[in-house]
Amino acid sequence: MAEERYDRLKAGITEALAEKPKRDALYTAMKRGRDSRRAAVAARPDGDAFRKDVRATKLQCIEKLPELVERFAGKVRERGGTVYMAKDGAAAIEYILDVCRRKNAKSVAKSKSLTSEEIQVNEPLEHNGINVIETDLGELIIQKVHEKPYHLVFPAVHKTAVQVAEIFKKETGQEIPPDAGEIMKVVRKYLRPIFLNADIGMTGANVGIAETGAIVIETNEGNARLVSSIPDVHICIMGMEKVVDTVEDALKMVMAHPVSAVGQMLTTYVTFMAGRSQLGDGEGRGPRETHIIILDNGRSEMRDDPVFADALNCIRCGACMNMCPTYGVVGGHTFGYIYPGPIGIPWTAAVHGLEKAGDFAPLCISCGLCKEICPAEIDIPMMIAEVKDRDSQKHPAPIVNKTLMMAENFAGLGSATAPLSNWMLNNSLFRILLEKTSGIDRRRKLPPFARRTFTKRFRELPPDTSSKGRKVAYFVDIYANYNAPELGIAAVQRLREKGCEVVVPPNQKSSGYPFIGYGDLKRARETAEHNVKALIDFARRGYDIVATEPTAAYCLKLAYHKLLHSDDSRIISERTHEIFEYLQLLETESPSPAPLKGKRFGFHVSCHQRPMSSGLAAMEWLRARGAEVELVETGTCCGMGGTFGLKAGALGYDLSQAVGDPLFRKFAEANVDAIVTESSVCTIHLKGGTGMKVYHPLELLFQ
Amino acid sequence: MNDDLVERFHKKYEVLSGKVKIASVVDDAVAHVVGILNSGNVTCIAVSALPEFLQRPIEEHCSSAGIEVLKPPFRASQLPGAMDRAQVGITVPDFVIAETGTLVEFATDDAARLVSTLPRLHIGIVWAEQLVAQLTDAAPRLRAVFSENTGNCVATFISGPSRTADIEMKLTLGVHGPEEAHAIVIMDRRPADG
Repeated sequence: MAEERYDRLKAGITEALAEKPKRDALYTAMKRGRDSRRAAVAARPDGDAFRKDVRATKLQCIEKLPELVERFAGKVRERGGTVYMAKDGAAAIEYILDVCRRKNAKSVAKSKSLTSEEIQVNEPLEHNGINVIETDLGELIIQKVHEKPYHLVFPAVHKTAVQVAEIFKKETGQEIPPDAGEIMKVVRKYLRPIFLNADIGMTGANVGIAETGAIVIETNEGNARLVSSIPDVHICIMGMEKVVDTVEDALKMVMAHPVSAVGQMLTTYVTFMAGRSQLGDGEGRGPRETHIIILDNGRSEMRDDPVFADALNCIRCGACMNMCPTYGVVGGHTFGYIYPGPIGIPWTAAVHGLEKAGDFAPLCISCGLCKEICPAEIDIPMMIAEVKDRDSQKHPAPIVNKTLMMAENFAGLGSATAPLSNWMLNNSLFRILLEKTSGIDRRRKLPPFARRTFTKRFRELPPDTSSKGRKVAYFVDIYANYNAPELGIAAVQRLREKGCEVVVPPNQKSSGYPFIGYGDLKRARETAEHNVKALIDFARRGYDIVATEPTAAYCLKLAYHKLLHSDDSRIISERTHEIFEYLQLLETESPSPAPLKGKRFGFHVSCHQRPMSSGLAAMEWLRARGAEVELVETGTCCGMGGTFGLKAGALGYDLSQAVGDPLFRKFAEANVDAIVTESSVCTIHLKGGTGMKVYHPLELLFQ
Repeated sequence: MNDDLVERFHKKYEVLSGKVKIASVVDDAVAHVVGILNSGNVTCIAVSALPEFLQRPIEEHCSSAGIEVLKPPFRASQLPGAMDRAQVGITVPDFVIAETGTLVEFATDDAARLVSTLPRLHIGIVWAEQLVAQLTDAAPRLRAVFSENTGNCVATFISGPSRTADIEMKLTLGVHGPEEAHAIVIMDRRPADG
């Protein structure tokens, strides 16, 4: 079963990799989404502070959700609307069919509604002889070709104008030039009689306001205005988590949604609809009705789940999709069931079952960027780790994941047996064998092991007897210990120069991030506990904890506390610093002379630095030493995803390269002498992908 | 009055592909409307409940130019078909949000909503005194209208013409709603209705 599932996933990736034009279209769309969002957020007077506000508001509303839903339903009824609380999709569909039968409805015109897709309402309606027409242009396109949305906000982003023109030519019998404007004119004409004559108009709701009993519907096209005003019967299907308390709450959502999705301040149309209005004076075609279906379908259970409750804060903006590196290559058909992308993993688990979520969860490479872009600051990465973990109880993880989770043992062995181990790593026969037994891709050039580890070399350093102000406990991690001890030594020296007493707490292990990434949360917690225990006495005695590996700093600062929620983990979090952020704190005057004068570097920010220094400290540090430093980025992960890119084949190296390609090109085009990054794994990836020299900033001073 | 807000609205509405005309007094606004009606092949327009001092001169122009005017009360029996014939819809939004370039319309009859939805071209006539600075300023106004109307009520934010980028991410205007969105801002105080 597990094998079959991975085969399916790999086939999806391989197919996506083969379709270059589709991939390019998706990349362009995602990048534009990211760039426009970033520009819009930068233009806001409060920057991205709205995210905290949205999160706080959503948390409050979810906390009192049952009460809000009751109040909302009461208000809708007071205004003459009908409310139906549907416990699941089947109940909702049965209710809709009832309305259709009672009204003898032959046609339903829909505006875009993800919740209606969640319960797959179109098929049963059509089965009952009702013509269902999607009126959102993107949804209409994919409805005509019987596909699922490729992207939450741009469902047909994978279709070219040529293909779309062909689709509507078939529908209308009309020759249509493959031009978006021309196609649009035909679509306007094609849909107009449908809007005018539909028996029922069906919409979703972006928000429900408990205070007023109004639903809020956002569109850019205006189709929801037409389907909610013309047909005598209006049906709205909304998830229960969409109900907020006040008008002010609703406006926060109405702003955060388009800003995050496409960098718009508001969608072109926002309709606040309460009760049902007449359409003109006097006798019309029939009574005017509105039916608000409030869907549970697993949401109450989510609310009670300590991990998945966070997913209820989702406002369906799709920003996490625009940000997700692997989604940006494979698209929503492979990276999704009905709900696609990062947030689609926990949502699928909650409403469509763990099995379906587990089918595509391995596409998450744990870069963590979805959390950084989410307008509700949802901890999507931690929920995905939970999905992987729960799923692995039924389907054991593949061998390669287990290998990578044991990386420290292998690194220890590699170091102990160097230089033999290094010769083997460069031996193609050994690499084939290694790929077969461990699943590490033979094409991946791996950094050599150092015979004398950092720990050994540190012990041999002459003692530092000068008087010291600050006390630092250095967290080493795998790479600096086994592969690049000189890096660790340089870190110690820079810290000593700045007047720090440096200790290397014994008993520290590597960060264990792969346990989170591959979803073994039991061992992730054990590792977290181990390292917290190894460091806590130092932290309590006033030592600051400094790490050179971004992912290690991320674990100490953020991930461990999320796993443990203990006083100790909180203290460790508070005391942890990235090396350059720490050195910058201690730098009081510009160094002279400027040893890096005349050098030009392209800087790569590791994903795990994004919620911390974003690499700014390292860049400043290099600039203070005379280097010209340019940030080179595509706005998402380089594709390495920690150890993901080490894995053999489609679900590993191939996908990782495809994600990295645009970034590799950017570096090649940048006029720089070398690449600088702080992450050891990004270094492997960027070296391989660009053929350029890649340095850790600390290395630049001792080469 | 509200010069700074008018300026902000003007800029934003144009960024959203809308068109803005500034009118000193009502007569100038009517002249702008006439200009827009004359620039296209307009044979039928729809208007929402306009104040008499706007309705009369617009109707006078239309009658001399042979343009049919659909106006409230709209007969339910003839809707929505009748409204679909109008090439231009003219409304007087209830307030305007400068920051977001948004006209806000309240309606308790869906026919009024159709005036700014079905025609290919929409004209919103507003007064500078109706401008508020930002989105959050809309909250008390929305609250007020929903508490005054205890039954049905719809508030609509309109920020420019109907748009889509669903085909190859190319921005195209007018897919379902208006392709052209005009806002005429009258700087003078709004006269008493009648």
